[in-house]
Amino acid sequence: MELNIIEFKNCALLHIEGRIDSYSASRVDSTLNQLVEDGQYNLLFDMQDVTYISSSGMLTLVNWQKKLQQKSRGEIALATIPELVLSSFELAGFDQLFKIYSNSDLAMESFGKGKHG
Amino acid sequence: MAKQTFPGNYKSLESISRFIINQAEEAKFTPQEVYAIQTAVDEACANIIDHAYGGEDKGLIEIKVNEVKDGLRIVIYDKGEPFDPDEVPEPDITSPLEIRKERGLGIFFMRKLMDKVIFEFSQSKGNTLTLVKYKGG
Repeated sequence: MELNIIEFKNCALLHIEGRIDSYSASRVDSTLNQLVEDGQYNLLFDMQDVTYISSSGMLTLVNWQKKLQQKSRGEIALATIPELVLSSFELAGFDQLFKIYSNSDLAMESFGKGKHG
Repeated sequence: MAKQTFPGNYKSLESISRFIINQAEEAKFTPQEVYAIQTAVDEACANIIDHAYGGEDKGLIEIKVNEVKDGLRIVIYDKGEPFDPDEVPEPDITSPLEIRKERGLGIFFMRKLMDKVIFEFSQSKGNTLTLVKYKGG
């Protein structure tokens, strides 16, 4: 799994390439932990190059969504999810827990000021 | 028949998926079915590491794949603790986020995505998990 982060004023954009499984989920978890510690509470995942997500990968995102929403600090949103990967979210019922966008620009606008805000 | 043995650790999961994807593609499943089979096997193997072995690098995972009439049979062996799926409650996927239970999702996926899911245990062989997927099933 490759993970790249671009931090903006109002959100962080995380681009993930490859698999989010039991092996890589811990890296996603520690990355989110660091971002939240640094005060980034709006986290947008660009999922277009994700080839697979397991239940542990989804639960990592769900647990962070829970933490962020409980404190009303922010939220995780998902953009450009491939159809097969989305089918896993739907099977688990997790698609209901995230705002899902067809492109990441739209998603960033929803976080306030867009890319350059 | 194809057979391969992997170390029981999370790093193996990607190699296991590659092995399974190749077998499922050779058997001419649709991309949706290949993804479903990949998911079921990945969840099964993650469960073996987490629950049967109780951690990484405690034992091996052996996988045999057979073509059967209109489908594929995948048998996964481990030598970990007996795994009783009935002890794992089925997740309530409609429950609100704040009370969402985390366990049991792997088995839930296997049962939703495959046509047969059979857990067996014997003292000599350990755990045997048989997954069958039929084309168009």
